[in-house]
Amino acid sequence: MNGLPMNGLPMNGLLVAQAGQPEGLAPLELPNVEYSAMAPHLILIGGALVLLVWVAMVRRRPPWAWAAFTVAVGLASLGASWLMWLDVGRNGPRTAVADAVVVDGYSIFFMVLVSVIVVLGALMGESFLKREDIRGPEFYVLMLLSSSGAMFMASANDLVITFLGLEILSIALYVLAGLDNRRMESREAAIKYFVLGAFSSAVFLYGVALVYGATGSTNLGEIVGYLQSSVAPANGVLLAGVALLLVGFGFKVAAVPFHTWTPDVYQGAPSPVTGFMAAGAKAAGFAGLLRVFFATFDTLKLDWQPIVWVLAVATLLVGSVLAIVQEDIKRVLAYSSISHAGFVLIGLQAANEKGLAGSLYYLLTYAFMVLGSFTVVTLVGRKGDARHDLDAYRGLSARRPALALAFTVLLLAQAGIPFTTGFLAKFYVISAAVEGRSYSLALIGMLSSVVAAFFYLRITVLMYMSTDEEEAEEARTEPLAIPRSMAVVLAVSVAFTVAFGLLPAPVIDFARDATLLI
Amino acid sequence: MAEYLPIFTMLVLATLFAGLSFFGSAMLGPKKPTRAKEAPYECGIVPRSEPAERFPVRFYLVAMIFVIFDIEIIFLYPWAVIFRQLDLFGLVEMIVFALAVFVSFVYLISNGALDWGPVKRMRPAATAPSRTSDSTVRRIGRAEEAA
Amino acid sequence: MADLAYLIPALPLAGFLGLVVLGRRAGDPRAGWLATSAIGLSFLATVATFFELLGQDAHHREVTKPLFTWIAAGGFEVKAALLVDQLSITMALFVTGVGTLIHLYSVGYMKGDEHFARFFVYLNLFAFSMLVLVLSDSFLFTFLGWEGVGACSYLLISFWFERDTAATAGKKAFVVNRIGDFGFMIAMFLLFTTVGSLTYKEVFEGLEGVSHAAIVAIALLLFLGACGKSAQLPLFVWLPDAMEGPSPVSALIHAATMVTAGVYLMARVSPLLVEAGGALTVIAIVGAVTALVAAVIACAQDDIKRVLAYSTISQLGYMFLAVGSGAYIAAVFHMITHAFFKALLFLGAGSVMHGMNDELNMKRMGALRRWMPVTGATFIVGWLSIAGVPPFSGFWSKDDVLLAAYDKSPVLWAVGLLTALLTAYYMGRQVFLVFFGEERWRREEQDGVQGNEPSRGRPEDRSEAEPPAEGSHSEPHESPRLMTTPMVVLAALAALGGLLNLPFGKLKFLEHWLEPVFEEAEHKLSPGAEDLRLVLALLAIAAGAGGIAIAYAIFMRARRTAAFQPALLKRGSGGFDDLYSFLVERPGRVIANFTAFVFDARVVDGFVNGAASVVRMGGSQLRKVQTGYVRNYALGVTFGAALLLGYALLRMGI
Repeated sequence: MNGLPMNGLPMNGLLVAQAGQPEGLAPLELPNVEYSAMAPHLILIGGALVLLVWVAMVRRRPPWAWAAFTVAVGLASLGASWLMWLDVGRNGPRTAVADAVVVDGYSIFFMVLVSVIVVLGALMGESFLKREDIRGPEFYVLMLLSSSGAMFMASANDLVITFLGLEILSIALYVLAGLDNRRMESREAAIKYFVLGAFSSAVFLYGVALVYGATGSTNLGEIVGYLQSSVAPANGVLLAGVALLLVGFGFKVAAVPFHTWTPDVYQGAPSPVTGFMAAGAKAAGFAGLLRVFFATFDTLKLDWQPIVWVLAVATLLVGSVLAIVQEDIKRVLAYSSISHAGFVLIGLQAANEKGLAGSLYYLLTYAFMVLGSFTVVTLVGRKGDARHDLDAYRGLSARRPALALAFTVLLLAQAGIPFTTGFLAKFYVISAAVEGRSYSLALIGMLSSVVAAFFYLRITVLMYMSTDEEEAEEARTEPLAIPRSMAVVLAVSVAFTVAFGLLPAPVIDFARDATLLI
Repeated sequence: MAEYLPIFTMLVLATLFAGLSFFGSAMLGPKKPTRAKEAPYECGIVPRSEPAERFPVRFYLVAMIFVIFDIEIIFLYPWAVIFRQLDLFGLVEMIVFALAVFVSFVYLISNGALDWGPVKRMRPAATAPSRTSDSTVRRIGRAEEAA
Repeated sequence: MADLAYLIPALPLAGFLGLVVLGRRAGDPRAGWLATSAIGLSFLATVATFFELLGQDAHHREVTKPLFTWIAAGGFEVKAALLVDQLSITMALFVTGVGTLIHLYSVGYMKGDEHFARFFVYLNLFAFSMLVLVLSDSFLFTFLGWEGVGACSYLLISFWFERDTAATAGKKAFVVNRIGDFGFMIAMFLLFTTVGSLTYKEVFEGLEGVSHAAIVAIALLLFLGACGKSAQLPLFVWLPDAMEGPSPVSALIHAATMVTAGVYLMARVSPLLVEAGGALTVIAIVGAVTALVAAVIACAQDDIKRVLAYSTISQLGYMFLAVGSGAYIAAVFHMITHAFFKALLFLGAGSVMHGMNDELNMKRMGALRRWMPVTGATFIVGWLSIAGVPPFSGFWSKDDVLLAAYDKSPVLWAVGLLTALLTAYYMGRQVFLVFFGEERWRREEQDGVQGNEPSRGRPEDRSEAEPPAEGSHSEPHESPRLMTTPMVVLAALAALGGLLNLPFGKLKFLEHWLEPVFEEAEHKLSPGAEDLRLVLALLAIAAGAGGIAIAYAIFMRARRTAAFQPALLKRGSGGFDDLYSFLVERPGRVIANFTAFVFDARVVDGFVNGAASVVRMGGSQLRKVQTGYVRNYALGVTFGAALLLGYALLRMGI
């Protein structure tokens, strides 16, 4: 890491190059690119490129090998993240690459989370792709690239990098949503997601521009410096910029009223992709949101807290109420994911350390719950990925007791039943809200969890209801096979949910230690 | 706020102009549709059938490949201008960048993006082998019912 | 000391885990025996612990046994520990004791059920959760047990989920209970923010710095939780429907143990309640009103189990009345005797159903004592006990409750006395209808006999059991020994349970035993009330006798069936009967019916269902926003962005 930026301009290669032009041959102060600070990101991108070349060059291409390779890449990035975690624990957090990237507990927390999601997502995808006869490595490549975008969002120390991460994440996701292009719904989902996503990205970019206009920098550290030094930090342009940033992030995490795409896209996208979206994209959106709001605009707390309050309440209520009237499991889970976003927003609204840790804990545990849930959805969806009406779950326990039990555990965890991580997650954010004296929000959160319990319960009851003759017949003719890779995902997610629900200390410590640099 | 005034003025003016143009043409223009006016080609050719709606998707692919290399050039040009100042750092960065673009190009070629005509493709068709004329008829029938 | 205490919850847990793994393989009846031995051993451990405590000095009988640290994150630390003291061990004694008997009974009752092993999995899990609830040393773990028993209750109510009513009843129980849990959760949050701890000990020690208003709020919120779990007004609607579950479940969970958890919680937090003066009055009033309303509704029920369900609600009302009057020992005493006689009555009802091919309508029964002598005899013991006939146990405990209520306010006492009269009446009606009178089940045609509830037996038996009027009705038969033995034991306990706390000097065993726990909280009777004890007791006996006499007059002397057919009424055997029915029975029935069907079904159910349908309607309205058009979605995002921008501008005052 060398030198401070000149002229208050952020230092990245291109801008520096322009700044250097008038002098002709004046020596440029070049940023020191520390690749080690972005090791997990680069491992994912490198893995994606290798996979592409491999597919192009080698004729024999067993699909399971791609999945195995992706899992290996995910594990490698997990290992790299772990080494970085140890390093940060020893040497403390730092910024790198001309202050554009930050290496702290927080960013590594998300690197770990995203790596795990990659591993589980690849396992989920493998048998799905085989079943649906979707050939080609695109699923893995896009997932790896999208995940690297997610990591960039978490480790960005500059709004431009955040935006870059957002776009890398999103563009890959648009394509992923339309991966199963034989299904009309999948194509529709991709187009919808793309149009709306591009729209919200533009809004986000506008927000970045306004913030730059108000503070003179896009670097988060410098923005903090400006806000601390300036006498009257809040002005209209800055606040408008912050509001537009919130729109961009709110879209990605599916906060009401920016959630409208969620049900349609979740429903249309191939089920494993939906699972990846719900776990990864949401985590990434919050990674950016929490860092920018907690660390950078902390001084503007009193300005953004009320608006986050409104968003959280709307998100909680709309998510849980609308989930009740859905008849399609993927839509139910879409609305439930909206309501979960509301809970994470509770943590943000509290605007204290506990709220941050609670939000992180929530995202981590939710990722496992939702990946497991979508594994079940993928399996029950059968060939064609179409059987997602709630009736498909009737009598599941009789046909596949273990599957039904796993789904029950995951649903109950999402409902916040004690002895699961879901309970602790809700408990954590709500107690953060209580600590932050947002009693009304805590109450609304609890209320919405009561309402939400209803539809989780509804699915559970359906699964344990008896089947009629016709369905029993169908179960015989069309048996529900559980491939081994899917079983692994289910086992991991259920084990995580239950084990750390019983003995939560390690995960809670992990979330608590994932503190921000600034 | 003062420094933003021109931008806002511009914004307002542009909106006004666009809006007024629409409004004005709608109000002022006489509407006398004739058959000739509504025809797809106003140059006198009588269309015998509906214009084709589909292009082969490869047209788009080629266009996109073109865009990719366009972008590569956009990056290469400024780099070339201050190539010496950027020194080794610039070279390494540019090689990494070019490599990434090249890999995607390799991928495209392997996918048959540049193959024209009914050549042997390295990848199987996107349609499922289970798809038959029967299933297609059923699907279209459903769509018509829905419509 | 008290190292065996660890075993108390551990054994049912081991049983549960063992059954989860082995259950299906063990099958019928070995799974049942496994479960029974698990809880039986747990009972022995409890007894051993009890004697160990007894050997200690009266003020050293409270032990905290640490288990493990559950959450240790930052300033937030939760340790799991068992709190073994007089109150918790008393509760654990009858939970495991009655639980063992009911497990034993279930082995007979559930014989041949398709899901035999699963039933015992749930039962053991329930026992474990209940013991966690009872023995926990902190609100958080009590809450976990609280949720656990709720979940088991839900699972067991909808055990025969093939039946829609059972599935619905389960859902209803779950939803209503969540309302109560909501209160409990908020109370916990308030406690944590004001006191900074959730263990009972630290909370009670830290109460001094807390404002009075906060304490009252916490007390009332905890009471809301107790209302949900113990089925008090207005959250009692789920309990009658909970009778959809198998009878042993009704006996264990919905009569003897789980529903008393609310009372136990109130007793546990007595140091807090004593600081929250006004809250106690609320509790007393809610208890008294619930007792009365439920008793009135019970008079109009024809379903043998629903009568008992409403009776349970009514008796729980008594316990809350006692708590509200500051008489925690009386509440615990009534809780214990109630566990004996109500479990007995439910097991008796189950035995009747067993012998009658799952018939539930009392109007299709009669004279069963000849066919089921053991069931009849034990049921009558239970009846005399609940009706408050001395020297049966119910008399002594009810007397204590009424005395305390009188000391709180004579009005509450009067309500309690009226309830006692009604209790004796409806229970008398039940006994006369079921065990005495004509053999109505023999009647070929069931003219005009309409129950207000259909038969609710096991689903697989249903097709055979219906219609019962085929004429091919098999003779009722006594249940197997496996089922009658627990009933006999419970009958003995119901008869002699009063010995635990006779109101004569040194014989107040329970009072001496529990005194250290309630030292500060227990309301000392004023001398005036103490003097009136005999008078009040005589009045209570009179009320009980009066209720029985009325029931006898209607259902035995006049040989009238409860069918209350207008034709029968016109025929009229004697002027007295007509006059009586006109003056007493008809208005009574009208009121009872009104309460049962209008108040219960419309108002209370209406409230619960109404809340659900408001949510549903709101959902379907909001759903219309989800048009599926991208342009509308983009508009939504724009709208949100405009809102946020507008806020930002407003904030700056532009």
